[in-house]
Amino acid sequence: MISEKKPGKICRYGMAIDLDKCTGCGACMIACAVENNVPPANPAATDLTGITWLRVFKVDNGEEYPRKESVYFPMMCQQCGVETPCYLVCPQQAVDVDPSTGIVFQMPERCLGCRYCMAACPYHSRYFNWWDPKWPAGMEKTLNPDVAPRMRGVVEKCNYCHGRWHAARERAAQAGLKDIIPGDYVPACVEACPAGAIEFGDLNDPASAPAQAAKDPNSFRLLATLGTEPKVYYRSKRPWAKRIGDPSQAPGSKETSRG
Amino acid sequence: MRNTRRNALKFIGGAAAGALLTPVPWRLITDTALWSENWPGIPRPARGPITARFTHCSVCPAGCAVRARCVGGQPVSLAGVVGHPLSRGGLCAAGVAAHQLPYHPARLTHGPVEAATGAIARAAANCNPDAVAALAACNPADGVAVLDLRPGRTVSWTYRRAMGALKNGLYLTAGGVFSGAAVDLSKARTVLSLGAPLLDGWGTPGNVLAARAGFRLIQAEAIESRTASLADRWLRIRPGSASALASGIAAALKKGSVAKAAAATGLTQQQIAGLADELTQHGPALVLPGADCPEAWALNELAGASGITVVARQEAPVPEAWNRNCAPVTPLASVADGSIRTLIIDESAPADYIPWNAIRPKLIADNPVVIAFTSSPRGYARHSLFTLPTAVYPETLEDIPAAIDSPRAAFRLAVPLVAAPAGVVNPAEFVARAAGIDATSALRERADAIRQAGRGVLITYADGRTRPVAQIAPDDFWKALNEGGCWLDTATRPSAPPHLDWAGIDVQPAESRRWPLVAVLAETAIAAAPASPLMTKLDQESNLRLGPGTAALHPDAARQCGVSDGGRAVLETALGTCPIRVVVDASLPPGVVQVAAAPETIDICGAGARCRVLSL
Repeated sequence: MISEKKPGKICRYGMAIDLDKCTGCGACMIACAVENNVPPANPAATDLTGITWLRVFKVDNGEEYPRKESVYFPMMCQQCGVETPCYLVCPQQAVDVDPSTGIVFQMPERCLGCRYCMAACPYHSRYFNWWDPKWPAGMEKTLNPDVAPRMRGVVEKCNYCHGRWHAARERAAQAGLKDIIPGDYVPACVEACPAGAIEFGDLNDPASAPAQAAKDPNSFRLLATLGTEPKVYYRSKRPWAKRIGDPSQAPGSKETSRG
Repeated sequence: MRNTRRNALKFIGGAAAGALLTPVPWRLITDTALWSENWPGIPRPARGPITARFTHCSVCPAGCAVRARCVGGQPVSLAGVVGHPLSRGGLCAAGVAAHQLPYHPARLTHGPVEAATGAIARAAANCNPDAVAALAACNPADGVAVLDLRPGRTVSWTYRRAMGALKNGLYLTAGGVFSGAAVDLSKARTVLSLGAPLLDGWGTPGNVLAARAGFRLIQAEAIESRTASLADRWLRIRPGSASALASGIAAALKKGSVAKAAAATGLTQQQIAGLADELTQHGPALVLPGADCPEAWALNELAGASGITVVARQEAPVPEAWNRNCAPVTPLASVADGSIRTLIIDESAPADYIPWNAIRPKLIADNPVVIAFTSSPRGYARHSLFTLPTAVYPETLEDIPAAIDSPRAAFRLAVPLVAAPAGVVNPAEFVARAAGIDATSALRERADAIRQAGRGVLITYADGRTRPVAQIAPDDFWKALNEGGCWLDTATRPSAPPHLDWAGIDVQPAESRRWPLVAVLAETAIAAAPASPLMTKLDQESNLRLGPGTAALHPDAARQCGVSDGGRAVLETALGTCPIRVVVDASLPPGVVQVAAAPETIDICGAGARCRVLSL
């Protein structure tokens, strides 16, 4: 289901991520979990069953020293703009695309946990709640009141900190404005990145960082050949990193990844 | 239709079958499933007025500026302060979730905790920790000492004053080459790092990243660490040969032979001579030694960096009275063995962990009393007779001196955002009371001394103003500091740091059959710091970092040791053993075991230690 269009400016929020700046520190991952009330791992959780709306992978060019090079690859929901796979397969209409922002978001109350969306997502950016969300005693006091914790048995994913978008809209409304004040809405990962590697903005605004990145010859989008028009642009001066972005363009490449 | 039992049963059966064709039972199944999913009760986030408060992070010595978003007075998220002159808006992964530290399930909240076992514990089990100073004063031959892991704070001065007031009182620090020195990355054009994690939490992360564009970074390291992968040039040297490389560069700077260093490091003689040339020709240069070759700090003097990129560390002014009767700063290594009877270790402010084998010889052999102030059971609590739980960030009010990458003195406060639990101990008050001095208003006294000195500026983030301190009233200055303000000294002509004699460094011994592997410590920047439970996102749930108690090996090395990915094993060195979980990583060289730095592992293997991995 595509939500009814809300009044105000039509935005197409996207990100530009500079892989040459990312140090792989993980501050974005922690800030994301804090902002979105993602609980600490269950003792039995692994890298396959844990919940990390944003995950940083270390990727190398597959060469040996001294030609070996590596980059850190922050991966979150790519916010597909066309033929959004998760949205198309959801039998419960639990995935929605906000036409006023272009953000793909998940409604856990509707999700029945079939995980079709996880199978359909080409970026593996959706996560299933295998366990009840649990916080150590007292830590529930630090939960963000703008985001509801999810229950066991549902899928969740990055939604560009939709709670922050709502809060920014409220602030704009209080100021008597129809649209969000520029710069007032920034996802937690963008705010946390100490290297300034992640930038956020409206792709419809030619001056925004993602819009500029879209024109940069060093920019690329992951699996762009699928035609889903992801709204996250990666940038690197290393050609091999660009090839990793869409392996179908470089058949037989030797890239390996760990993360 | 007649009212017979058969008809009634037919009606009920038909109704039940017909109900299956309606949405009712299916809806009930969904609702029941949802109810069961919510069975344990999902916590409801508290609501309340939203406010922003400013403070400084005290999780590590960097002291980054923090903007805390509070709901009903409770911090729910932390972010860096954009435009801060020291931290440049950056906050590391540990700092972003530091407001959750008070709720870590392993945190110590009640005390004193008797941690030690055996004869020592039995003999001293009835000792009252309050009588520690009296215990030491009983016999003039016995000593009492405070080991301060993060010197330069106001509480450090309290310790010095307290030890000065006691007989045989000693104020100890880790010492080492970095004490008394600071670096100015903004002036460096070439940085040679001998395994230092420069881009992985070293110094103030935001400041390092801000200065990164101004210098060329050469990383000499055995493994492709984060810093190595982001450096302009990565020189892969043999594991444990950083000292040899430093010797080679020193020899090249003195126009000597580098053949021995080339053989030890695996680099060519031209490469080593080229490094020396780069340091002198593309200066100002800066050499940052790793944990396994601190002596290489002396290369800075040889490369002409002294007084330019390496300067003397500045400290904020202190009241005159404090200087009159305070114990001198004594490096731990210079203390005679067997001379300390009572040792108080302040681990409440996380800093570099000193291996226990460097501390234990300094204590008397029989019944030493070791008291650890800490919130974690993992550090010195394992070795102490008494563990006194302390408050953690953001529960405490404490000051944070300038970090190593700040050539200017600074004074800022970590302001409490939540109340500390009942039962925790304030280390400064404890030591001051034991020594009979008054230190209840030490922070205020120091702030007044800074204000009185009249130097520097006060930066306040709530209004984004920078004002000369001389124009601010003392009460306003103190108030501004408590609201997250930062005092920054005026820039002065940099002076050279303390001279370090270059005694030369022995080349590492050859491989031995007993210890076939070389330990490389990973995640050193966050090893000693308490971590939020959410840090599982970085290790357990994503493998981005090595988690506590894990060690990574090359597949060949793992095969030779008889261990497999995810398996349990034991790391053994000449100093002891430690249980580990094995991670197999093909990107590591075969002769290396990359060990997650933690008190348990640092106790048995420093960087570059020879070791082996035994299958369980």
